[in-house]
Formats: sequence, C-alpha cells, structure tokens
Amino acid sequence: MLFRVDVAAAEPLADQIAAQVRGGIMRGDVTPGERLPSARELAEVLDVNLHTVLRAYAQLRDEELIELRRGRGAVVRGDADATRLRLVELARQFVREARRQGLAEAEMIAIMKEAQP
Amino acid sequence: MRRLLAAAALVWLPVAVIAATWAMWSGELPTRVATHWGTSGAPDRFSSTTGFWVTLLAIGIVAGLTALTAAVATLRAGAPAEADVARFLLIGAGAAAGAVAGMWVATATAALANPADPRLGWRFLWFVAGLAWGLVVRAAAGRFSRPVLPAAPGVDPLDLGPTERAAYSTTLRSPLITGVTLASAALVAVLAATVQPGLWLVAAIPLLAGLTFGRIRVTADRRGLRLVAGLVGVPLKHIPLTDIATAEAADINPLEWGGWGYRVLPGRAALVLRGGPALVLHLRDGHRFAVTLDHPRTPAALLTALQSRIPD
Repeated sequence: MLFRVDVAAAEPLADQIAAQVRGGIMRGDVTPGERLPSARELAEVLDVNLHTVLRAYAQLRDEELIELRRGRGAVVRGDADATRLRLVELARQFVREARRQGLAEAEMIAIMKEAQP
Repeated sequence: MRRLLAAAALVWLPVAVIAATWAMWSGELPTRVATHWGTSGAPDRFSSTTGFWVTLLAIGIVAGLTALTAAVATLRAGAPAEADVARFLLIGAGAAAGAVAGMWVATATAALANPADPRLGWRFLWFVAGLAWGLVVRAAAGRFSRPVLPAAPGVDPLDLGPTERAAYSTTLRSPLITGVTLASAALVAVLAATVQPGLWLVAAIPLLAGLTFGRIRVTADRRGLRLVAGLVGVPLKHIPLTDIATAEAADINPLEWGGWGYRVLPGRAALVLRGGPALVLHLRDGHRFAVTLDHPRTPAALLTALQSRIPD
C-alpha cells in the first residue's frame, strides 16, 4: 500500500498516516494478517518523527484495526474487514432513513458534514 | 527447434544404459539386491532385482516419452514460448531419467562388487551424476528465448506536491512456490527414508527456499526499491533511487524470464512469483529488474515521482 503525507497540511501527520492505513484496508491494499512497515522504518522513509508513526499506529490499534506486538511490529487484524462492514451498515441505515424523509443526496452529504466535530 | 529433438534423444540415453547394463549384468546379479543402506553403511533392505530394474526402467521410459512428446509437439506448434515450456520438460525428464539410471548403476555395481556384503559408499555419486544429466540436456536444448521487449514507456509520476512525502510497501506471498518447495522436500524425504539416508541433508534445501521465498516484503521509497525475504528478514535486493532510469508496469510471462523464483539472466534479474502484472525497473547501467506484484503502477509512479526530485 501507498503511504503519503503532506507536511504542510493542517491535519496532524499521525492522523494522515492512520487515514492512509484505514484507506489501505478498505481498498484491500493491505489484507488481514499482513504486516505493516515497522514504525521505525516508516518514520525513516517518510522523514517524520518516530513518535508520529507510533501515535498513528496506537490510534489504529485503539480502533481495533491493527495489532501491535513487541518485536513483531504492526499486523492488520484478522477481523479488520468487519469494522468496515459496520461502517457500511451504519451508512446504509442512514441512507434508508434519509430517503424515507425524502432527502436528496446533497442534503445527506450536508448532514454528514455537519456531524463532523 | 531441431535441438529439442536432439535433447529428447539425450533423455533416452540413460534409459538405454538401464536396458543395456541389464543385458550385461543380469546373469551375475543375485535375485535380490540391496536397495537401502543404514547409517553404518551396511545394507538394511533388499528388493527383487528384476522388480527394482523394471520400476526404474519404467520411470526412465515415462521420462523419455514425456521428452519426446514435448519436443514433437513444439516442432508442430513452433512458438518460442512453447519451446521454452518444452525445454523445462526436457530438462526435468533428463534429470529424472539420469537419476533412475544412476540409481540402477549404483545398486547393481554395489551388488556385483561384493555380493556378500554390498556397500553403496561413493557409488552414490552415480545418482548425483545422473541428476546432472539434466544439465547436459539443458545445454543441448538450446537457450531460452529472450524476447526483445519494447523500449520502456514508463508511467506517469505520482502527483506528489513539494511538501508531500510518500512510501510504498507490500508483502508478497507465493502459495505456488511454498507448495512446490514443500512437495519437493517431501519427495526428497521419502527418498531419504527409503533409499539413501544422506538425502536428509538435501531435504533441507527446498525447505529453506520455501521459507525464504514464501513471504517477501517489497518497499519503494526515497531509498529506492528493496526486497526483504521472509520470516527472518534476509535482504534480497536493494536498488538505490539513483540507479533507476525508468520504472514501468508490465505483464510478465515466467517462461520469458527463466521460470519462477529469483531468476538471474544476462542483463536482467527478476523475482517471479507468478505470471501477470509486475514492476519492471530499467537501470542506468542498462540492466533490468522485475518483481511480480499486484497493481505495479503504484510503486512505478511513486519511484518515478521520487526520482524526479533528485537534483541532477
């Protein structure tokens, strides 16, 4: 999978890295059981602080997407796909309810945007 | 293409040796020959001489017929890729026919040399020499075709902004290579258990190869392209960014790259785990390096983008 970060972007680097991994799992670029680059290696090649990558990996661990094991690095969890399915299911419920209320697509997207903190 | 027929004829030579030596030796051979030796060197298993000979001859004949069929079928079809398939079959058949002939000669001469207490000893080398017959067949079969690939079109670079940084990483798994190496390890183990205990050492080779090539990590980043093997992390290849001229995504036919696994050919090398999409790097020294992976466009575009950042 491709990791790309923009050091000039407003979004914190750790969040950017975590988002990349999430996208990678959703697209199937990384599959359950696959090992991600070690935090040290990723920090080196992206030229970012080691703690930035560790923070991103810890975030993904808290989201139950990856497992962090001492000496073994970060591994995509076997049930990582299920988390995506949960999201998709929530989205379906949302869309169903919105349609029932007669909302158009643009209005649904507007609500999604409002929901962001 | 005629060379293929010559190679097929060579596959039959060990078969002829098995047949001819029978005519010479059958009068003097005992009805049962030692076919397995213990670690002390003393024989611990005996088989019917005729049965043993017939089995080995049959295997040799099957190998010979395979070789002949492959050569004749290719002469009819005439495509270079098929000729490469035929070459693979011929080399395998040559090694198999040679191996059974070697096994026969080793066992028979051991029995003839000392019927009371046959010892294998150095005669095991007949078997090794027989296996090496595959190399003779390989020389006779001619070179594998080296199709001239069109000049590298390269790929469009990834749209990396000046403040953006990117790295690519993927893990390759090869059920094919793992399966084949495990199967060959099992085959050698069976031979070790029944014929020649010395083969236990040989069984470790495919096992190690399977563990090494079963899982490979490929990274493309500002350091260049890196291949690190398997569970223990053996570095297989590192191509610095500055050595790369262009990167492209191409479809690879394993037969055009000399087969599966880590292949080294004149002017190019490749890690071929399957046919299909591959990342192909054209290096500044004129060499090429290829590795098969899914969606090779991504690392190719990344390497191209990273490379354009290097000040000339």
